[in-house]
Amino acid sequence: MLGLFIELKPGDWEMLMFSRRPSCRQREGIERKLMGTSSKRGTKPTPYSFGSIRDKNESGGAVAVRILTSDQFPKAKMISGLWLVALLLGAAKGGEVCYSRIGCFPDSVPWSGTVERPINHLPQSPEKINTRFLLFTQQNPNSFQEISAINPSTISSSNFRTNRKTRFIIHGFIDKGEESWLTDMCKTMLQVEDVNCFCVDWMGGSRTLYTQASNNIRVVGAEVAYFIDILSSTYGYSPANVHVIGHSLGAQAAGEAGKRRKGIGRITGLDPAEPYFQGTPTEVRLDPSDANFVDVIHTDAAPMIPNLGLGMSQLAGHLDFFPNGGEEMPGCKKNALSQIVDIDGIWQGTRDFVACNHLRSYKYYSNSILKRDGFVGYPSSTYNTFKTGSVFPCPSGGCPLMGHYADTYKGPITGGQKFFLNTGDEKDFARWRYRVTVQITSSSDVQGYFHVSLYGVNGNTRQYEIYKGTLKSGSSYTGFIDVESDVGILDKVKFVWNNNVINILLPTVGAQSISVQYGKDGRTYRFCGSGSVREEVLQTLNAC
Amino acid sequence: MSTFNILLPIVALLLAFGLTVAIPDEKGLIINLDTGELCLQSLQCKSGCCYRDSGLSLARCAPKAAETQKCSPLHIYGIYYFCPCESGLTCEVDRSIVGTITNTDYGYCKDPMDTKK
Repeated sequence: MLGLFIELKPGDWEMLMFSRRPSCRQREGIERKLMGTSSKRGTKPTPYSFGSIRDKNESGGAVAVRILTSDQFPKAKMISGLWLVALLLGAAKGGEVCYSRIGCFPDSVPWSGTVERPINHLPQSPEKINTRFLLFTQQNPNSFQEISAINPSTISSSNFRTNRKTRFIIHGFIDKGEESWLTDMCKTMLQVEDVNCFCVDWMGGSRTLYTQASNNIRVVGAEVAYFIDILSSTYGYSPANVHVIGHSLGAQAAGEAGKRRKGIGRITGLDPAEPYFQGTPTEVRLDPSDANFVDVIHTDAAPMIPNLGLGMSQLAGHLDFFPNGGEEMPGCKKNALSQIVDIDGIWQGTRDFVACNHLRSYKYYSNSILKRDGFVGYPSSTYNTFKTGSVFPCPSGGCPLMGHYADTYKGPITGGQKFFLNTGDEKDFARWRYRVTVQITSSSDVQGYFHVSLYGVNGNTRQYEIYKGTLKSGSSYTGFIDVESDVGILDKVKFVWNNNVINILLPTVGAQSISVQYGKDGRTYRFCGSGSVREEVLQTLNAC
Repeated sequence: MSTFNILLPIVALLLAFGLTVAIPDEKGLIINLDTGELCLQSLQCKSGCCYRDSGLSLARCAPKAAETQKCSPLHIYGIYYFCPCESGLTCEVDRSIVGTITNTDYGYCKDPMDTKK
């Protein structure tokens, strides 16, 4: 083995570079590609010979081929010698793979060989990963046009328009670009805005070992960056108009794209993947420096060990949202049968059975496109302080909206800000948060609970429990409710109470006054009532 | 009899999952079911309504109907095409013999106190 390496010809060192042990077919493919690139770029179409060094071309991210003259051979030999030493010392460390257009991918620290990333894999080839861009626009909302940056004529002949914003949606591990959630998200966006919506498919690289897929995202990120490069070079399309949405590993791919192409307008991370990314340096994972604005939704932030949480708990954006606390989503604790036999079919049910919390992130995002005010995030340090209402209503600068409209936030975008909210347990997930304070009067102290429902110009809500326990006359009780519909300006509320046990004294309880404060704008409504009612009888309170 | 034959394996499956999956006390497998879980009878649900879209679809626990929403009055089947109303509300409906038998007496939830005034 060693003897084989000692007589290294200059042409051999890059064989080590390409991958640990490239097959003949792989090598041929790479060489063919390099030749194609060099001739297209206007350099001399020289036959690819031994001893070529490739370095990343700064302008286009393409690869240039430099042919070594004979007097450079000793140098190359020396380099190859160094490589050999490095290889023997590093034992399998320090591999690198280079591809035309998108450059080289080392697997040195921090890409592998660290505590967070113990198993090293080089990214698979762009051909294998086969990143595809599927375009939906208002001209073709139901069927996609497939576009390739390698062949820019496909862009000009498509419905892509430079006067619109562009949004990319990148899926995660195991998933594919034609999965219904991506296409549905595009279709939903097209209902409310005129955009170029791309579903990015990398199924060829996502259906493999997790450790491999988490390296393949580097190629996916590079492909997206290359696509944006082509848009800006051929159409003068500013990257600031680009928004990249990524779920799980796709969020990390979006981060990679943002690192390669600076100045991307916005990246949305939908529960960015935790294993192989959490705790790594910023060059590996999604972080606020990857785009002008980075917003993240955490829905499965519990630790991987032992809770099998797939998402990052680490803050990764300018705004980090933790709906329902970020770890356990409502509607995800169903028994196995109920979870798998889903309303949306066995496939959706099985997906939720495997990763319900993790997948909630894109469901919330999709829902937020149509329910703008239904996802108000409240600044808070922990979920518990949010629940107790210490930050309620929104501060004077307003609260950010989780999901699609997060970029309308007017407050300071500093990074490391946490926001909390509650959502529903099935679609629609949107909720509107109110603080309700009820002062009651009762004929005697009773054990029980009371509910309040809100009536506004747009309709009314269900009954929500405000308090449970001993109802004392003259006391006031405060509770927070997340109601399921936007009722608009309130005009009345209804109060109903119930006893847990049969009480022969037939007590009555009533609400003297109820004040309701809407969390988003802090607007307070006051309602007054008179008298008291028997249990399970509705008492109506009008504005006063 | 035929419906019983269909339901039996479902009950058996639920029991089987109950044995394999240890679930904390809060929520149940047979009773005390959350919204969205499969049910056979409204008594199983926390919300008190076991709901299904059509005679062929599976039934799941669902929240009760709020005021102004479509509803069914209480009836003996225990599975509803529209849930009964929340507390204090009545489902105003013209009951008919056919509707009672086929479980298709529908109405809207109303507050009886509103009409008294």
